Amino acid sequence: MKITIDSTISCDVLIVGAGGAALRCAAEILENRPDAKVIALTKVTHPQKSHTATAQGGLAAVDPKDPTDSTVFHMFDTWKGSDCTADQNVVKRICESAWEQILWLENRGMHFSRNRDGRLSKRTFGGHTRNFGEASVYRAVFEADRTGKGIMDTGWGETLKKGITFMTQTIGVELLIDGGQCFGVVAFRQKEGRFVKIMAKTTVLATGGSGQVFRVTTNCRQNTGDGLALVLQSGLPVMDPEAVQFHPTGIVGPGILASETLRSVGGILRNCDNEPFMVNYAPKMKELAPRDLVARAIESEIREGRGIVNPDHDIAHVWIDLRHLPDEVHEKQIPEVSSFFKHYVNLDTKTDLCPVRPSNHYHMGGIPTTEFGEVQDARQQIVGGLFAAGECAAASFHGFNRLGTNSILELITMGQLIGQKVIDYMDAASDAQHDAEPHYTAEQFSGYFSSSGPESIGRLRARLRATMTEHVSVFRTEESISGALAVIEEIKEKRNQTALSCKETVMNQELLQRWELDNLLIISESIARAARYRKESRGAHFRDDFDTRSDEFNHHTLASMKDDGTFELGKRDIDMSVLAAGGEHSDKFDFIERKY
Amino acid sequence: MKSYDLTLHIYRYDPQKEKPWFQTYEVTAGPIMRFVDVLRMINDEQDPSLTWNSSCEHGQCGTCSMKINNKPMLACDLLVENAVEYFGTREFSIEPLQIAPVVRDLVIDTDVAYEKVDRVKPYIIDPLPPDPGGEEHQIDPDELDAYVDATRCINCFCCVSACISSHDTFLGPNALLASIVRVLDPREQEKEERLHDLYSENGVYRCHTSRACSHVCPKDIDVAHFIALAKKGFDTKRS
Repeated sequence: MKITIDSTISCDVLIVGAGGAALRCAAEILENRPDAKVIALTKVTHPQKSHTATAQGGLAAVDPKDPTDSTVFHMFDTWKGSDCTADQNVVKRICESAWEQILWLENRGMHFSRNRDGRLSKRTFGGHTRNFGEASVYRAVFEADRTGKGIMDTGWGETLKKGITFMTQTIGVELLIDGGQCFGVVAFRQKEGRFVKIMAKTTVLATGGSGQVFRVTTNCRQNTGDGLALVLQSGLPVMDPEAVQFHPTGIVGPGILASETLRSVGGILRNCDNEPFMVNYAPKMKELAPRDLVARAIESEIREGRGIVNPDHDIAHVWIDLRHLPDEVHEKQIPEVSSFFKHYVNLDTKTDLCPVRPSNHYHMGGIPTTEFGEVQDARQQIVGGLFAAGECAAASFHGFNRLGTNSILELITMGQLIGQKVIDYMDAASDAQHDAEPHYTAEQFSGYFSSSGPESIGRLRARLRATMTEHVSVFRTEESISGALAVIEEIKEKRNQTALSCKETVMNQELLQRWELDNLLIISESIARAARYRKESRGAHFRDDFDTRSDEFNHHTLASMKDDGTFELGKRDIDMSVLAAGGEHSDKFDFIERKY
Repeated sequence: MKSYDLTLHIYRYDPQKEKPWFQTYEVTAGPIMRFVDVLRMINDEQDPSLTWNSSCEHGQCGTCSMKINNKPMLACDLLVENAVEYFGTREFSIEPLQIAPVVRDLVIDTDVAYEKVDRVKPYIIDPLPPDPGGEEHQIDPDELDAYVDATRCINCFCCVSACISSHDTFLGPNALLASIVRVLDPREQEKEERLHDLYSENGVYRCHTSRACSHVCPKDIDVAHFIALAKKGFDTKRS
């Protein structure tokens, strides 16, 4: 089969992705430059279906009217939560712009939950404190337990209003980079079955998460880390790939997210003896300790024999107890999550104990960028015209562990900041027409069509995901990681012995899954190699064989793929500019101990 | 663990061929497998070419809507044991929602389905000016309660599929919902244009009050209630 580029399109801004970060960025551009031609590609059937829409809990933002809260507290909580690996310039920028972005959403119609006085309601969330860890603080605004949907609907509405062009069920398959500059992408349109070249003055990668690398994940089917694979295939690095978050409470079986909100409203975790065990792991914060701590607490209870085994799935778990909460909380604050327990395991949160276990959830690591979202190469040089926003990026806001309510905050704050930077870049860019030829798309895709053999794409994918969940999960060892790498090598061989049963290009699901398998393999390998290299425990990355944080590793990991497919590891310094600036409280931004 | 032997007759369409057909699959499935898990199992074990769409697989995105034994629903929301009990059978037909052209098998052209939603402008056309003090607008939670349920719509199009008023220019229940939310939202100043569209010949008067929309809504939104509210001229208690 001959793979050819069917047509070429030009635009000012091309966004690969149409979720929360993508559309906040697009809205910023279109509000300020109404004549800009902005195209957003999305892999899903419509932007409203992006995974952002499934986020539940809330948006952290310090309300200037709240006398008990302060931006420096939010910055500190994020720094400590990250296990001292977030970049302080990014943390400062995001925390300072947070409230303004909440108002942006509210003014454009997001349906935040309200207090009796008509103002935005607030809730507590894990790791968010006042006075540098003294007690929990009410910092997160929310829309019931569907805050992500609110952000998604508002972003979609605003960009629709301002004349964005959406290309649905379309994937970016190759970055067009020449002389350190990005000129656009090659895209594949599934409905038409055609390849198109999209030339753009600026390209923004906003492809979201990579959770499908793991068998048990809260992430949607589409989250196969496509943006990370795109940069790796162009010889650019990913940063901190080993920094993967496991959400403590996934519903046992499918791994569906049972929001941290359950704990914020007073839910209690119990083991097989009905003991509320969190007090043993985080005496002060207990259930509201950061996610990596809670996930390890649950896994520890299970591996020490105090879990409960679910007979349908044959998986061990612990309970979350919501029975003591008033009806109003069940109905008004956690209606969606309660419905999950009802629909997927036939349980009533008002009367039953609910089974939960850690589930892969979020990738703190991603495409390394400056504090303005500019993509960097392995020597930290900026790639002209290329930006990354949202979960696929690592600026890094979250370091090695993300606090709840900080992720969707990042979408709207970095989305706006990057939008402004893109405008600057666009204004300065010349109108000269560039052309760039793709290097590997034709060969890669014709290879998919021509390969043959007995292996099954679906089964190889299932094996990869099971391996990552078993071997590179909450607790890691040299042995477990090396075992995973061996399986990855084996699957890399076997994928060339698969065959597509359908040889058409129009809506060929198997073709998409074959492409996704390549992406999952690249990302799994980068996660495993970086996890093996980092012989310490930091945030969500925990090594049984190196169980403390070591100053030797006070840096970000960079992982790049060479032409021969092997990986090369490097470093990027952690930005310490808040510490360096001195002044009141700056000492809190040193490499501090992390206890809750 | 109990298992169920199911017979599935699934709609197939290949754009290279003129006519669609039904293909029969026999599967053995566990009780709390969702229908998306069953389709995936068919792909992995029997037929990788069977094409279907899903994303979140837990009822939040509205991608996997399809007709199962003629009822429009989310395939991720239907557990095998519940399906057997509800439909009283182990034999199921599975078809795409016929509300837009079929691209292949169970996948339809969602862009076409969204055209009517886009047409009602699912955003605030003329926003209330921002508070000069830099604060949020205040909305009474009781006022919000009157329409908050309608904001939960995920545009899965199950209501559109079930609607008996299938005149092709009718805006449709989900598009009406999107407009009604903004009529009731105090931050939307442009009421006139919205009311004009709602009461136009493609608006609420094409609704025949079958309540099929409320009956099938996977988010349990009483869609018919909001349309009825519009027909009454939005006579709600507003302070």
